[in-house]
Amino acid sequence: MTFTIDSAPDCARAWEAMPWVLQDNAPAAQKEWLMAHLARCESCSAEFAQQTRLRAAMSLPSDVPLDVDSGMARLLTRLDTLDSETIAPPARRANWVFKALAAAVLIQALGIGALGTRLLSDRSAPYQTLSTPAPAAIAGAIRVVPDPGMKLVDWNKLLHSLGLKVVSGPNAVGAYTVAPAEAAIRSEQSLQQLRASAGIRLAEPVDNVP
Amino acid sequence: MSQQHSPTMKEAAASSDAADRALLQRVAGGDRTALEILYRSYHGTLCRFLSRLTRRPDIIEEVINDCFWIAWQKAGGFHGDSRVSTWIMGIAYRCGLKALRQHGSGPVEDHTLMGDRGPSHDPEEDREMRDWLRKGLDLLSSDQRIVIELVYGNGHSLDEVAAIMQRPVGTVKARLFHARVKLRNLLPALGGEAAARKERVP
Repeated sequence: MTFTIDSAPDCARAWEAMPWVLQDNAPAAQKEWLMAHLARCESCSAEFAQQTRLRAAMSLPSDVPLDVDSGMARLLTRLDTLDSETIAPPARRANWVFKALAAAVLIQALGIGALGTRLLSDRSAPYQTLSTPAPAAIAGAIRVVPDPGMKLVDWNKLLHSLGLKVVSGPNAVGAYTVAPAEAAIRSEQSLQQLRASAGIRLAEPVDNVP
Repeated sequence: MSQQHSPTMKEAAASSDAADRALLQRVAGGDRTALEILYRSYHGTLCRFLSRLTRRPDIIEEVINDCFWIAWQKAGGFHGDSRVSTWIMGIAYRCGLKALRQHGSGPVEDHTLMGDRGPSHDPEEDREMRDWLRKGLDLLSSDQRIVIELVYGNGHSLDEVAAIMQRPVGTVKARLFHARVKLRNLLPALGGEAAARKERVP
């Protein structure tokens, strides 16, 4: 028995319709037409019977032995693995954050080290306060201890009249180091005048001044 | 002869798809129970479908596992453009082809398993029908077998088969046509006529 596609047009139409009628997916009119055709066409009727048998055979359960329970168990195990892998990424992210922070600290440490090295090597302009010892090289420097009751206005007025300026002090005992504001002023004369002034307890030249 | 169109199968399919969609939505939310229900309801269908590609149980189980592994991860991406069954069969088909490539062979044609499976609980008529079908499917290419399975075994339309196999509808239609011609010309000689005669006896 050989099927050829140049069969009668109705048989070709019946051939097209068979799978979908068997599936019950054909329109009602198509199914109705096919049934009418099968009733008068032995060849198509035989073919439809074979198609029906084919569909029944295709619908038989698989004969390949597979246990659904063990398959499901394997799938669940695999999902558990997926879950644990899903949880893992935050740990990996944390690890990266830690490494980034460590790198930042290292860079900062290197920067601080370089800066410290530079500061240690650059001592050309040390910071100095009035309480630090008087510079040794100031010519005509005089150490002066004013009376604690002396007013600031009187102190400033006295220094100004003598052409002196405070270069350091007061130190722990209230002594100031003063020096001529101009090179032309003679420190020895200034010393005598300081000693004679009211409100000055002590006026002595700095020892190392020649 | 009854000329009335019965909507029973269509309604059942629609109802089944609605239930599948609800399950898939739950799967997208991480519901393992819903996944298990889907797995169990599709296991037999997938097993039979994949047995048209290979006879090796280990590969079939691996493919079903891969299929639901992907379904678990991609359920949220299902937009309802097709039936859930079409979506799942499409995943299984691609996983099946991939597994066959990985195992270094085309579809396995070893039918030695056929005679070894469950003869004790298989009714004689079913066994005869299986044998007849096996001989017939042997005549087809794997692509033709898949199309026959999807249309006759699973009840998919041409459009759905095209979506599952990711081929043009015209290609699927041609495969179905040629497969049917082969089966029509050769199945009767393989014992179908005797069976058909038996069926026609009141």
